[in-house]
Amino acid sequence: MASRVVKVDRAGVQKATGPLAIRALAKGLAVTNRHFFRNLFGWLRGKPTVATVMFPEEDVKKPPAFRGMPVLVQMENGKERCVACGLCEWACPVDCILIEPAETDDAIERYPKVFDIDMGRCMYCGLCEEACPEEAIVMSDRVEISAFSREAILWHKENLLIPVDRLPQRLDYIRLGYGRR
Amino acid sequence: MSERSVQPKNPVKVIIDGREIVAEAGHTLLQVALDNGIEIPHYCYHPKLSIDGSCRMCQVKIQRVPKLAISCNTPVTDGMVVDTQSAEVAEARRGVMELLLINHPLDCPICDKAGECYLQDYSFGYGRQHARTTSPRRKGLKRHPIGPRVVFDEERCILCRRCVRFTQEISKTGELGVLGIGDRSHIGTAPDRPLDNAYSVCTADICPVGALLSADFHHKRRVWFLEEVESVCPGCANGCNVKLGMFRNEIQRLVPRRNDAVNDTWMCDHGRLNYHFAQDETRVRVPRVDGVTPERGNGSRPAIDAAAAVEEVARRIRGAIDTHGAGAVALIGSAHLTNEECYRLVGLRDAIGTPHLDLVVPLGDTDDFLIKAEKAANARGARDVGVQPGAGGKAAADILAACAAGEIKVLYVVGSADLLAVHGEESVLRALAEVETVIAQDANRSALTDRADIVLPGLTWAEKDGSFTNHAGRVQRIRQAMTPPEGALTDGEVFVRVAAWVQDGTAPAAFDVRATLAEIAMTLPAYRDVTLDGLGSHGLEQRTTTGPQIVTPGG
Repeated sequence: MASRVVKVDRAGVQKATGPLAIRALAKGLAVTNRHFFRNLFGWLRGKPTVATVMFPEEDVKKPPAFRGMPVLVQMENGKERCVACGLCEWACPVDCILIEPAETDDAIERYPKVFDIDMGRCMYCGLCEEACPEEAIVMSDRVEISAFSREAILWHKENLLIPVDRLPQRLDYIRLGYGRR
Repeated sequence: MSERSVQPKNPVKVIIDGREIVAEAGHTLLQVALDNGIEIPHYCYHPKLSIDGSCRMCQVKIQRVPKLAISCNTPVTDGMVVDTQSAEVAEARRGVMELLLINHPLDCPICDKAGECYLQDYSFGYGRQHARTTSPRRKGLKRHPIGPRVVFDEERCILCRRCVRFTQEISKTGELGVLGIGDRSHIGTAPDRPLDNAYSVCTADICPVGALLSADFHHKRRVWFLEEVESVCPGCANGCNVKLGMFRNEIQRLVPRRNDAVNDTWMCDHGRLNYHFAQDETRVRVPRVDGVTPERGNGSRPAIDAAAAVEEVARRIRGAIDTHGAGAVALIGSAHLTNEECYRLVGLRDAIGTPHLDLVVPLGDTDDFLIKAEKAANARGARDVGVQPGAGGKAAADILAACAAGEIKVLYVVGSADLLAVHGEESVLRALAEVETVIAQDANRSALTDRADIVLPGLTWAEKDGSFTNHAGRVQRIRQAMTPPEGALTDGEVFVRVAAWVQDGTAPAAFDVRATLAEIAMTLPAYRDVTLDGLGSHGLEQRTTTGPQIVTPGG
């Protein structure tokens, strides 16, 4: 039950949009047209001036603060930085992370035998990144999860690993953001 | 917590943090505080070990005492006024924490203790946030197999010496010691004597940090994901109180639970590691009647489910009674069943009308501490409720002899592994060759379930509610921790159903643990005050004096 009822000023809205909403339509079309012509002349002059990006052939460069899909950091030796401590699994509010820990002979002792993220469920909140004591899981600039089945949007460790040298900006950013030294 | 005596024999009054507490003279200040719910941080003190006083974490301010005193080694005296919260105490704790953490590796992400670590807890509660030292931390052994079941991490050790005192005072084997002096002291063993005794993993329990770890649980699961269920160890007649660490319907570990009347805070390694049978590949998950299972029919016969298998059992028993008399049916019970199930097994025996029912209990090593000879949790309870030969009934060995002689036509065995272990696999199978129908009800596969004509899946102790009676007559509660295999009936349900079908072919009543225990309480004077919910966490001592026997209607 709603505890508060919001009264909509219908008369005011009608006045602003005009009869048959012609005023609002004209306003919208004006914006469309402005961008169309600016685009057209820019293209004719050989230097496009507007923000339209030919996705998916082109992609925008996202700022380091951008929170895309969480990915795993891959070290120079090809292994994951993750030690399967389970803190991200615990922190995840939608329970989309599944980790099976196992023992390795390396000095770090533990590694995730299985590391699955259900991208269909992930809500890009970044709590896993904040919880991670090893800077092993970070939010990337990836956003595309489209696939033809639900199995395909369950991402496994192999899909999630990204070499550390492709993530320096985000790593610097989280060190700054979470006050780590 | 421990059961405190309600009335101290020699009472003294102490005031801790403004609270007036009546305590027993001579008890230590730390114990009195803990018993009264006042938290004083401590590492080296353990209620079941001697006092060491080495960690200095439990320092408190006592009025008219010039310096701070360690509460673990200070007996309470009358009129003592104690402050556990003053700024002086907080500063001392901060200092102790800082010194303990100077060489601690802080590898909590890969440490199994993380989540139940005293060093973590007290560091958050009483320590400072950041280290002030920049010198490199001391290096030590990592993942060192100090014994066959214990892993040692030297860097994490804070030298509280709990484990050393444990091996000296409880296991009385003395493998561990502090070697070296000063900054270089560390826990170690003699070169040819690893930490290998019947209770060695208890050192991992009492280790306040992650220095000693159970090899079985090593890197297996984070403790904060475990759902802990209070139960009783099924390994022997002692009935040590345990907690089952459950995760995704699997037992991850067993840890002892404090019960001063049974096991203090300890348990043996065998019991601790004896849980894999509940979830390994030998589990019997589906019934089988003459090769027909729920997945697979057999020519003319359709596939069966558990209820149909139980009905088939009753039909065979009925057939044997009709052609050969009730004496041609024999039952062998198991000491792994709960009291309630045993009671229903006796009910099944009465429904059949045969006197031949016996209990088979495997025997094994024993010591003068916790390990008892009878290697099943509920031998005493089973005998109490009547799982033993009736008037004119045969004992297990005689039942087998009668089987070999062809007198027994239907043999119903619950818990097949025990029978094979006690009477020998070969001789049991030879005796069974003459039996028309062998019914085996067990949780795990064995040579007997392979031979049996009808196999019913049994449940392990982790999958059912009920009560066990230990060797000393203490009735203790076990709780369901796991979801049983799909479609499986509890053992009690099987007995109730078979009994009803055998008796008059009617649809049976359901098996109810509470109602069954209430029935036991009405029938047996020793169980007079026992109710399932009355057992609590620590169980009830059985009545030794016989009260007035209440005769129930209908026997």
